[in-house]
Amino acid sequence: SRLSWLDNSGLGFSLDYPTISLHAVSRDLNAYPWEHLYVMVNAKFEEDNAKEAPMAEGEEEEEAEDSDDDTEPIAEFRFVPSDKSALEAMFSAMCECQALHPDPEDEDSDNDYEGEEYDVEAHELGQGDIPSFYTYEEGLSHLTAEGQATLERLEGMLAQSVSSQYNMAGVRTEDSIREFEDGMEVDLAPAVAGQFEDAEVDH
Amino acid sequence: MEVSHSVKERTIAENSLVILLQGLCNRVTTVELRDESTASGRVTNVDAFMNVRLAEVTFMDRQGTLCHLDELFVTGRNVRYVHIPDDVDIRATIEQQLQAIHRVRYFGGRDKGRKEFPRTKH
Repeated sequence: SRLSWLDNSGLGFSLDYPTISLHAVSRDLNAYPWEHLYVMVNAKFEEDNAKEAPMAEGEEEEEAEDSDDDTEPIAEFRFVPSDKSALEAMFSAMCECQALHPDPEDEDSDNDYEGEEYDVEAHELGQGDIPSFYTYEEGLSHLTAEGQATLERLEGMLAQSVSSQYNMAGVRTEDSIREFEDGMEVDLAPAVAGQFEDAEVDH
Repeated sequence: MEVSHSVKERTIAENSLVILLQGLCNRVTTVELRDESTASGRVTNVDAFMNVRLAEVTFMDRQGTLCHLDELFVTGRNVRYVHIPDDVDIRATIEQQLQAIHRVRYFGGRDKGRKEFPRTKH
């Protein structure tokens, strides 16, 4: 929840993410002799703190700008890791952390977007909640001609894979259609006693 | 730019002009900050909170000192202006971004796949 910089002995300091205005990777050695992570902070830091901060594993330098005008105070930090290949990871980690700290003072955007996305079209057509599944009869009417043909073919395959003497529960063959109105019903007991006793069927 | 994985961010983007900024990915432009410093570079990402990520940046601080930065992340709070390049078709960019969001939202087709919210019955 905060950006912390510590040396081996555990001494260091922390910055609150909301105070960080921007951060960057600087590899321009003409501007600064080491590749570093630059962080600009919207706050004031005393010069004394900078001198007390120890320099061990990673160097850390702090510059506080004099604010002699009415503008906000700015502090700049340059984090120089001993391993410069860590800079990318440091930069990315900070980006992610910053994204987790949206501006609490943001009044302009209406951020009441918790929960479901607003379905503009559904609302316009006057239809709100639609079921995400259908019962058999309803669903059948939504099948295209191709879909219905596929359904019949699959059910035919299911019916054929069982011996013609028996009806597999739930499969709508011509006989069962007449018997059961609701195709969702499943018989738990076998239709014929000992139906599966000789279940060794060669396919 | 990839569409955000967050439903909340997609909805915010869809309902504000930040969607235009998101369409500027890979374009080179200038961002003016609240403290009047500027950053010019290639846009690599803009999120729903207007946090802007730039690459190959020329940064001019409020004193006018220039420096080059490989990558820069500016919090949305500190963005004052984002320049739109002259050759950007604003309307087309917004429409493309909306289409990208809808492709993600309706992944799997109209009546197939998992949906974030129910689709109309026709």
